[in-house]
Amino acid sequence: MKRLLVILFSIALWSCQEEVVLPLGEEESPIPTIEAYWTDQPTFNEVKITLSKDYYDSADVEVVNDAEVSIINPNTGKVIPFVYLGGANIYRPTNPHERAIVGETYQLNVKWQGQEFVSEGLMLQAPTVDSVTWSFEEERLFRDEGYYIKVYGQIPFEEDNNYRIRVIENDTLKNQREDYLLFDDTFGLEFFEQGLELGYPFEENDKVRLELFRLNRDAYDYLNQLVNLLFNDGGLFSPPPQNPDSNIRVVRGDTDVLGYFVVTPVLSRTVLIQAKYD
Amino acid sequence: MPFFRVLTLFFLASFGFQAFSQQQRSIVGEVLDVSNSEPLVGANVYWEGKSSSGVVSDINGKFQLAVSELPFRLVISYVGYEQSIRIINEKEAEKPIRFFLKPEEMSLDEIIIQERRPDEQVKNMEMGKATVPIETIKNIPALFGEVDLLRSLQLLPGVKSAGEGTTGIFVRGGSADQNLVQLDGAPVYNPSHFFGIFSVFNPDGLKSVDLYKGNMPASFGGRAASLIDVSLREGNNVKIRGEGGIGSISSRLTLDGPLFGKNSTFIISGRRTYADLFLKLSSDENIKNNKLNFHDLSGKVAFVLNNRDKISLSSYEGSDFLGLDEEFGLGWTNWVSSVNWSRVNTEKFFFDLQGYHSRYSYTVEFDDPENGFEWSNKLSESGLKALWTLLPGSGTQVKWGVHSQYYHFAPIDLEPSPESAIQPIATNPKNGLLNNLFASVEQEVSPKLRVEAGLRWGLFNQVGKGVDYLYEGGKPGPEIDITDSLSYGTLENMQFYQGLEPRLAFRYLINERFSIKTAYNRNFQYIQIASNSSAGLPIDRWVLSGRYVEPVRSDQVSLGLFHNFDQNRWEFSVEGYYKDLDNVIDLRNGAQVLFTDQVETELLAGKGWAYGAEFLLRKNIGKTTGWLAYTWSRTWRKIDGVSKNEPYNPRFDRPNDVTLVLNHEFSPSWSAGLTFVYTTGQAVSYPVGSYEMDNQFVPLYSEYRNLDRFPNYHRMDASVTWKNADKGRKWRGSWNFSIYNLYGRKNPFAYEFRKIYNDDINFDTSEDGEIISATPGVVMTYLFTFLPSITYNFQF
Repeated sequence: MKRLLVILFSIALWSCQEEVVLPLGEEESPIPTIEAYWTDQPTFNEVKITLSKDYYDSADVEVVNDAEVSIINPNTGKVIPFVYLGGANIYRPTNPHERAIVGETYQLNVKWQGQEFVSEGLMLQAPTVDSVTWSFEEERLFRDEGYYIKVYGQIPFEEDNNYRIRVIENDTLKNQREDYLLFDDTFGLEFFEQGLELGYPFEENDKVRLELFRLNRDAYDYLNQLVNLLFNDGGLFSPPPQNPDSNIRVVRGDTDVLGYFVVTPVLSRTVLIQAKYD
Repeated sequence: MPFFRVLTLFFLASFGFQAFSQQQRSIVGEVLDVSNSEPLVGANVYWEGKSSSGVVSDINGKFQLAVSELPFRLVISYVGYEQSIRIINEKEAEKPIRFFLKPEEMSLDEIIIQERRPDEQVKNMEMGKATVPIETIKNIPALFGEVDLLRSLQLLPGVKSAGEGTTGIFVRGGSADQNLVQLDGAPVYNPSHFFGIFSVFNPDGLKSVDLYKGNMPASFGGRAASLIDVSLREGNNVKIRGEGGIGSISSRLTLDGPLFGKNSTFIISGRRTYADLFLKLSSDENIKNNKLNFHDLSGKVAFVLNNRDKISLSSYEGSDFLGLDEEFGLGWTNWVSSVNWSRVNTEKFFFDLQGYHSRYSYTVEFDDPENGFEWSNKLSESGLKALWTLLPGSGTQVKWGVHSQYYHFAPIDLEPSPESAIQPIATNPKNGLLNNLFASVEQEVSPKLRVEAGLRWGLFNQVGKGVDYLYEGGKPGPEIDITDSLSYGTLENMQFYQGLEPRLAFRYLINERFSIKTAYNRNFQYIQIASNSSAGLPIDRWVLSGRYVEPVRSDQVSLGLFHNFDQNRWEFSVEGYYKDLDNVIDLRNGAQVLFTDQVETELLAGKGWAYGAEFLLRKNIGKTTGWLAYTWSRTWRKIDGVSKNEPYNPRFDRPNDVTLVLNHEFSPSWSAGLTFVYTTGQAVSYPVGSYEMDNQFVPLYSEYRNLDRFPNYHRMDASVTWKNADKGRKWRGSWNFSIYNLYGRKNPFAYEFRKIYNDDINFDTSEDGEIISATPGVVMTYLFTFLPSITYNFQF
């Protein structure tokens, strides 16, 4: 809705845009930024730790490679240590076969330079995806013509209905701010049974991989707030910009921390768009 | 608007009543406008050489003046009219006499200030009140040539705008929802068109607007920051007349005249935009098929039943519609109606009764086979207000009354289309009943000291039908479980609040030209908008006080110096104020308020305070009129959960604010207007860094809110009006040519912090090919640089 208003507002108002340089403040020291995924599929299990930088700094973000990272199951006391992989700039479980088990709670622990960061998440059961289809659609309001993908599935859960679908088109993650696909049960979940249409068109011979996550509420809120922030144009119709609320706590040290910890099942499907099967 | 008339009368009368209450023999008469026989309220009537013992004409233009010796010369004067002097002999004094005054041949401005006595600002009790004549508003250069009431009020000291192109106003540190905009006594919930670019009123149909910046009389209440009291004009009772205009984006027409003979009048006023026509000119199919328009329609009929009673009915309806491709539509409508009965029981005892109903609704329709829906909401307020006014003599006036209000916020209703896969949403309704008792006394303690003391007692019940949710631990929050829900039947009490609202004001007259005034005011407000953006949207959600949301409390103290000079041609005032607010709401990060039935989980509440000094130099008479205003003010909020629980400035905190409004009449045909505004930029948050998250470049913000400032805002507008000076002609036309933002200042509307690719701010990474460079940048959006417009106005 808000995006629509922004569009209309700019049409209606003869607005103009130009690039400017504003004097901006700085943080005294860079803030550690943690992005941690713990799933039932080992390839998704990774922790990325970087540092924030000055706004105009166009260099790549600085990666933290000397942190001590582990995931603990507080019920069993099991500790899953992570190790830094230099090539990928991420931490992965020392034992690559370790993964999350439905119903278990996991705790992320990160220690770095005398500081300690902790977060928890519950591994939820995955919904079922019955089929993924595609069909050619003419141009519609807000949607260009092209092949549209629909996901059909079942969500039998009363609670914790917070989902994200990630779309990888020909090995490239769709990661424009418009591409985020997050949904909960505000409008019910029947649309998932009747087929959830992805909001962007594909072309023939596109290889499309879909990844469905079922998130804990705090991680879902984090992503929602992140998307809202990416859409925040600083204008009158936007709320004051705020960093997304992290679900990671600082238990030792006096720094802040950014980012989030995700514990989620992953369902993935790959389709190849072919006109002859439409 | 009876209140305004009565008020005017009292302020005028309070200086004259002493004289005639002590005498026995007197003459009675009536003062009328010669051109239309309309009564002139507040005309000065006195025996020549004895102006101090004169009287003023009342609401019906009538007066009664004590007689000591006859024959004697009687003077009747009224600002904007030629003075009439007549010798009254014994015989004439026995029966009522009618006096017809002829308007002076001067500019409209000069006639218009008739409602104010020249030295009124020094002598009356009013503080923090501004009256802007509609004719003045019409002369202010306007955006798109659309004369705009709320935008004009932004030019007054102590009134802030949230930014370019919005009519939302912020009075002395209050939020936008703390202003009560009322039309003939009925509240208007969304007084804007086009997402706030224009305000809802067609100026041709209006009589006056009074802005009370917090010091409200006890007979008004319900909002914490201000009252914007707009009254519709009454028709004349002589012949049908019309006026209107054809502008760049809208046209308007007003007709008025007698209805059934001389004792009843009507006025009807309409305005319609044709912004869609411009869209049609676009070659882009996506723009061409869209609709964007609004209209206003207002009317008023007034009946003078006898020499004591008058009844008037007013109604206003205004809608906006925005349609895209026949598939998506967003429309919103205000509809307010009121009935006013005013009765003059005796010359010293008046009664006003008012009933009103105000309704605001919006509908969003999306015509899509799979995800289509119709989403609508409606809120209404109905009220009944009785006001008694007594003038016992010696400059005393006493008012008392009762005001009952019923708020109904209908459930949010989202209905999917028949084939749609989304589920319907229906929240529970919210209802509130607010009963206010009020009384005030205004008393002349000594010739120099005058006191007004008032008290308003509000008794608020949130009533059924409705549902309250109970939360674990008693406090609502996004992650907190609901333990139970309580359902209430129709009109069953859900929550009760009550509060006394004292209103106190003193005026001390240092001399005839100089006074000091001070006032204290408390207000409670039982409804608020749950929003943390600075501009209102048509779909904003109003929240009623209840179990978890306490009413807003506002306390304001103010002190002012008022000085008139050069025979009251110039007015000067300085007012200082301090305001304290409690239970102001804000939203938590990422709050979703539109569809939830547990809106309390999304809210944060806290305190606010504001202080400032307002300087105003104003000239009302002469070829050149206008004002120069300077305000220095600060506004703070302290809300747990925002800005690390530390005080912060809301966006509309703009410490320095200079306004210059000038209108000059070069000749009877030519006049020109000029406006200049300069304000400190809005308080905003800029990033203090960036980081990467989820493959995104994300600006990093400080935990403290609004530490940065937009560049200072300034702008100059100008207009030239040419009118046919031949007053004898039936059809009188005038051309108005205006330019908004004369020197093309690029005032920022917004800054967006994002990556800029290939040094091109319009580069689209998904469509425009290879990315060569990507640098973090700032993209400024600005609106309206050098925007000319032309309007043709006419009268017949």
